[in-house]
Amino acid sequence: MSFIGDGSGPLGRDMDGAAREAAEQDRLEAEVAGTRPGAASPVGDDAMTARISADAARDLIRAQRPWPLPKQADPKAPLLVVEDLRTHFKLESGWVKAVDGVSFRLDDGEALGLVGESGCGKTTTALSLVKLLPGNARIRKGSQVKLFDIDLVPKSEAAMRRYRWREISMVFQGAMNALNPVRRVSEQIAEPIEQRLGVERGASLRRAGELLELVGIPAKRGSTYPHELSGGMRQRAMIAMALACDPAIVIGDEPTTALDVMIQAQILELLERLRRELGLSLILITHDLSVTAETCDRVLVMYAGKVAEEGPVRRVYSAPRHPYTQKLMGAFPNIHADRRALEVIPGQPPDLKDPPPGCRFHPRCPAVMEVCKVEVPPEVRFPDGVRVACHLHPAGKDGGVQVDAADVADYRAPLVAPVPLGGIDRAGEGPAA
Amino acid sequence: MTDDLIRLEGLEVHFPLHANLEDVVLRRPRGAVRAVDGIDLAIQKGEILALVGESGSGKTTTGRVIVKLTRQTAGSIVFDGQDVSDLWGQRRLREYRKRVQIIFQDPYETLNPKQTINDFVAEPLQVNGIARSLAEREQRVLEALESVGLRPAREFAFRYPHELSGGQRQRVVIAGAMILEPELVVADEPVSMLDVSIRTELLRLMLDLREQRGLTYLFITHDLSLAWVLADRIAVMYLGKIVEIGPADQVIRSPHHPYTQALVSVSPTPEPPAPGLGAQRTILEGETPDAARIPSGCRFHPRCPLAFDRCRSEEPPLVDMGRGQSAACWLAEPGRPLPTMPTTAAPAPLPEVTPVATPEPSAKADPTDADPAAPPA
Amino acid sequence: MSTAVTARDLRAERWRLRARNTADFARRFAKRRDGLVGIAILVFFSALALFPDLFVGPLQTASTATGGRLEPPSTAHWLGTDELGRDIMNLTVHGARISMVIGLLATIITIVIGATIGIVAGYAGGIIDTSLMRFTDFFLVLPTFVLAIALVPLIREVVGDEAEIFGIRAKLFVIIFVIGITSWASTARIIRSQALSVRERAFVTRARAIGAGPGRIMWRHLLPNVVNLIVANAVLIFAGAILTETFLSFIGLGDPFAPSWGQILNASQTVGAPVLGAWWYFLPPGASIVLVVLSFTLLGAALDDVLNPRLRVRR
Repeated sequence: MSFIGDGSGPLGRDMDGAAREAAEQDRLEAEVAGTRPGAASPVGDDAMTARISADAARDLIRAQRPWPLPKQADPKAPLLVVEDLRTHFKLESGWVKAVDGVSFRLDDGEALGLVGESGCGKTTTALSLVKLLPGNARIRKGSQVKLFDIDLVPKSEAAMRRYRWREISMVFQGAMNALNPVRRVSEQIAEPIEQRLGVERGASLRRAGELLELVGIPAKRGSTYPHELSGGMRQRAMIAMALACDPAIVIGDEPTTALDVMIQAQILELLERLRRELGLSLILITHDLSVTAETCDRVLVMYAGKVAEEGPVRRVYSAPRHPYTQKLMGAFPNIHADRRALEVIPGQPPDLKDPPPGCRFHPRCPAVMEVCKVEVPPEVRFPDGVRVACHLHPAGKDGGVQVDAADVADYRAPLVAPVPLGGIDRAGEGPAA
Repeated sequence: MTDDLIRLEGLEVHFPLHANLEDVVLRRPRGAVRAVDGIDLAIQKGEILALVGESGSGKTTTGRVIVKLTRQTAGSIVFDGQDVSDLWGQRRLREYRKRVQIIFQDPYETLNPKQTINDFVAEPLQVNGIARSLAEREQRVLEALESVGLRPAREFAFRYPHELSGGQRQRVVIAGAMILEPELVVADEPVSMLDVSIRTELLRLMLDLREQRGLTYLFITHDLSLAWVLADRIAVMYLGKIVEIGPADQVIRSPHHPYTQALVSVSPTPEPPAPGLGAQRTILEGETPDAARIPSGCRFHPRCPLAFDRCRSEEPPLVDMGRGQSAACWLAEPGRPLPTMPTTAAPAPLPEVTPVATPEPSAKADPTDADPAAPPA
Repeated sequence: MSTAVTARDLRAERWRLRARNTADFARRFAKRRDGLVGIAILVFFSALALFPDLFVGPLQTASTATGGRLEPPSTAHWLGTDELGRDIMNLTVHGARISMVIGLLATIITIVIGATIGIVAGYAGGIIDTSLMRFTDFFLVLPTFVLAIALVPLIREVVGDEAEIFGIRAKLFVIIFVIGITSWASTARIIRSQALSVRERAFVTRARAIGAGPGRIMWRHLLPNVVNLIVANAVLIFAGAILTETFLSFIGLGDPFAPSWGQILNASQTVGAPVLGAWWYFLPPGASIVLVVLSFTLLGAALDDVLNPRLRVRR
């Protein structure tokens, strides 16, 4: 699929102050967009999708919101900015630094993949966004999670409820565990609609039925119990539940991991379609690189609680810079590559109670240098939009610029999210409104 | 065919469905779950055969029949020239168990949490009355642990499973299977619970062990790309039948069965699909039907994009396609590629969701910052 | 290959790890204040039960009247005297042995029967499970106290009153036996349900795949995985047994010549100590019972936490 036009979308562009940056982005867009992973999408090359500037995309998606932005929201702010997130767990034996200084930004309509081995902190990062953390977890001072420029970190539990599910919802891995076995599926989907939106029972059940249709389950199957559905169907029901309140962001925590390949392909296809047509933003957490390759615009590779590499999927996967990303790619059995050329990453992820000094990957790194053992590599942004924390790619080389958390927040990804133009009506916006 | 280490002939495993009261009253015949529905399979000495299929395809049941955990309802198993179909009972199976072992999927479940690593690995020796003295047993346990890369072995021997990582646990499980020095190892999804990086280490280990000991593997997996990385031959199962079998390269590169073709097309790859290439994915609709209600004719026909009349009534036999490859499809012909599969066409538009009447947040739900109904920015 | 490891090396390693595990357990347990309190109370009463002579002199001194009738606490009799002039403290201390022995033996009987039936039923399944569980249900629905009241005189009639086993009068064994057979059913039920779920786990299938027989699987795989439950259950059974013994003695089915705590309470009630305001008569045995039961409950909760490996996640 190729995007229509040469960069000036139908809505024109917002030239507020960042014209030069935007021009640079355009060049990258043209380069990257032609091969963006959305190519796998069934929506394909149709008029519903057009390439427009990121600001226009943002405004368009926000204009379609079924209900107003939160009161304190800045309508021009990026959707989600995570700055220097540090989430630590207290154990008997000390503090486990599960997430230790992670920054990223998520724009409207964008899909971001969080990739890494188990224990790298990807799930903790996601749970920190909605503060659904176990009791022994603490989000450290200085961490910021800003949704429409509202910092969620200091919010009370009661205040967080305003944002959970209504702005950020989740699809969990084990659908069987996440669904209540003794309640009908449609009732469970209707529950957040009633609770959060104060909708009457009948209307909420009707909407639940429609949401089920939306994810490809006949509405009448809503009256069944979770165990009567197959694994794929349960995962679809979980997605319907996540969509119940028309959230801005859906976090998928290993949403396809336990499923068969064919079902996995179906679910990913569904997520991709929903994202395009509902203007959702997706965060996909997975250890499976292929899932992000097929579904995401950008990927963030985590290692031992830190960002190893982040950037446009196609960029990162076709020319990985960080040795960890390289190893991870090499370890993935690829049916289209030479067989039995599997890479092994020696050793194990470090104990996050006492992570190694310097670069956390250095004990396992094939290209380790002396500096890696003492100095923590800074995050460096390259012109193609890839951010890497590795001494092999220092600032200055290939036009790399050292960035800090605030820079990450200000940096707009060079990819433009696909925008629904005349997609389906979202709640609150249709003829009834 | 003298090289065959094990041969399954017409193997069937049907689990009877228990009649409920309604069935009895209505005199309905009791059905059966036809988990494995007549397969012929031969594995040669030193070969890795991958049995690939989705859940419900009968691949795990086939593995369990081979290691004598499940009784077949028909067909025979010939191991190393001997018919072992009716070999049952702890004592009579002893010799067989020494030669055929199984590795399970979940390293967290396969290890008894209350057993030390040493006890786990030594258990097969104890149970089968080999290496009766404690010292000899421990010696063999240490050797087994070292051979699977747990070094220094004595540091691991008296630990409990919860002190080990997932990869280490699966190594222990492998050591426990290898200590009897089996000839055939049934590996049931041995790496699917593990991280990608650990996966490859274990696959390497399995290949190394084959080199050193001349092992034969039946590698059961749902992941075609893993099968392709590891196996010499691949057999694809669908609903209790083998629909295609052949050398790994051929099955992957030129599949003759539409199901195999679809599986190959959706097989995960870390590379984002190139423009044009992404469109080649064939995502089958629906899910594998219930093995208690197998469709008539070709059992794949309800999901097959290429199905025609004959497929609905007649079941295609497994036909030799040449070069060791066979497929069970009416369209498969030797030397001729399958008709192009329809790829994921633009699907029908998503159904609409009616807006809820009042989208305004209820005050109760938002005690702190309820929103005024301001128009969106 | 470091295959030159000698058997002695291995033995040393095994002991080192065992010691480490024990130390680990002790360290974790030491953090549980409730468990420590439970242990402290239990150690105190166990000392009383094991060496009553050290504290108050031999049993004969307990049955000898050394003071006046129902004397309140004084320096001569710290906890006063009963209606016959016997020292209450002396009686209570000697009562500890009898009460605790009854509790211990009744618990062992209960657990052995309950765990065996539970594990066998859970593992075997099918007809064996069904018949064992119907048998268990029969005992489960029998009201313990009523059955005990009916059984005690009956068995006494059969066995006779005078025999002595290990210096403990046979009548006590009747009580132990009755408590044992009336309380195993719930244990069996609990153990069975746990065994059912353990049986489905992959390590049991693996044990079958390597050729292990049912006996080995039950002994080596099921039992160790239900032992937490057994320990937690045993603690409660022990407490229950002491209460049952108290009750039986209190209503006069105990052995009047063995001063268990229940017997003392019974005697105090017969005399009408509460009405007479002789609190020192019923308070010491009553408080002892409460403390011992409490200590077991505390200990049970702490052990359950510490022994449960799921709570010991290592990241």
